[in-house]
Amino acid sequence: MPCFDRLAERLLRAGIAPRHVRRYTRELNDHFDDLVREEITGGASRALAETRALSRLGSEDTLAAAMLERPELRSFMARFPWAVFGVGPIALLVLSFVGGLYLEFWLVNHSGWLFRGLLGMAPGPVAARLATRIYTVYNTLIVYGGPLLFAWLFTWMGTRQRMPQAWIITGVALVCVMGGFQNLVFYDTGCIGCGHLNLTSGLLPPFPNLSEGIARATANLAIVGGVWWLAARRKMASPIALHTART
Amino acid sequence: MANPSFMNGVPELLILRTLAANEMYGYELVQAIGVRTNHAIKLGEGVVYPALHALESGGMLKSRRKLVNGRTRVYYAVTRKGEKHLAGLVQHWQHITDAIGLAIGGTAHAML
Repeated sequence: MPCFDRLAERLLRAGIAPRHVRRYTRELNDHFDDLVREEITGGASRALAETRALSRLGSEDTLAAAMLERPELRSFMARFPWAVFGVGPIALLVLSFVGGLYLEFWLVNHSGWLFRGLLGMAPGPVAARLATRIYTVYNTLIVYGGPLLFAWLFTWMGTRQRMPQAWIITGVALVCVMGGFQNLVFYDTGCIGCGHLNLTSGLLPPFPNLSEGIARATANLAIVGGVWWLAARRKMASPIALHTART
Repeated sequence: MANPSFMNGVPELLILRTLAANEMYGYELVQAIGVRTNHAIKLGEGVVYPALHALESGGMLKSRRKLVNGRTRVYYAVTRKGEKHLAGLVQHWQHITDAIGLAIGGTAHAML
């Protein structure tokens, strides 16, 4: 069975979309199996059948060139890295906060109906306190979890496409820093369907909670950097461990 | 035949023409093209896949996974857009081969 890992790596680094690379190598493997079977049926030995099958399939250079001469198979990320890692983090943060805000508006406006229907709770101070807690958890997830989730998303997407690290770091840094300055808070006013929902950005005048934003941005960068460092260390340690096991 | 400039557009034409009859997976398609062209056109068999992917990206082919003998195969079939594109390609190649036929036969007024 041939290994097309090197071909896959070459295509990914050249910007071919991962889905095309994955399918291409799977199809080549299947095609190789069919060719071997055909050669064996024709009377060739297994070794000869495999050699002939590889030759019929084409050399690695031929297979790579056939894919690389088709620009339509390149991923959007490879063609427009500035859009994905430059504009993407900003757009994603704005969309997530605006989307989160609208969803919360809807939840606040329908909280009476939701609490009665889902929890069987009548409107009152107890239900209002519970609603405030739920909104606070929701806001905390968006404000603190969102940037970290997006940082992971950009890292995963960039690594999958074998993008240059400079692009991945740009996207992750943008999402960590900008995400640190946004805030979404719900203030309880003591009744169901009421309350203040506050969306602020420390990056816009009058720059509210600037020091908190700096601290959160630093924390985001530290968390992501730490995870990155640990992952890189683990990756570097793997071949050494294998080598040690063999010797 | 292996002259790259003359091969431009040929894989697409052969793929679309062969798949126009019925859906096939890669290996099956390469065998069918071989039979259809009397093995006159030699290609690395693996290079058919980038052409298939590109035609699918352009909406000329559609693919679906099918389990055959315990293995998942990607079957390709021509779409309506692909049929129209094939008709154009056939007309274009017919025009070229007619012109070359005239040139080889020594007859003048070849319209290219």
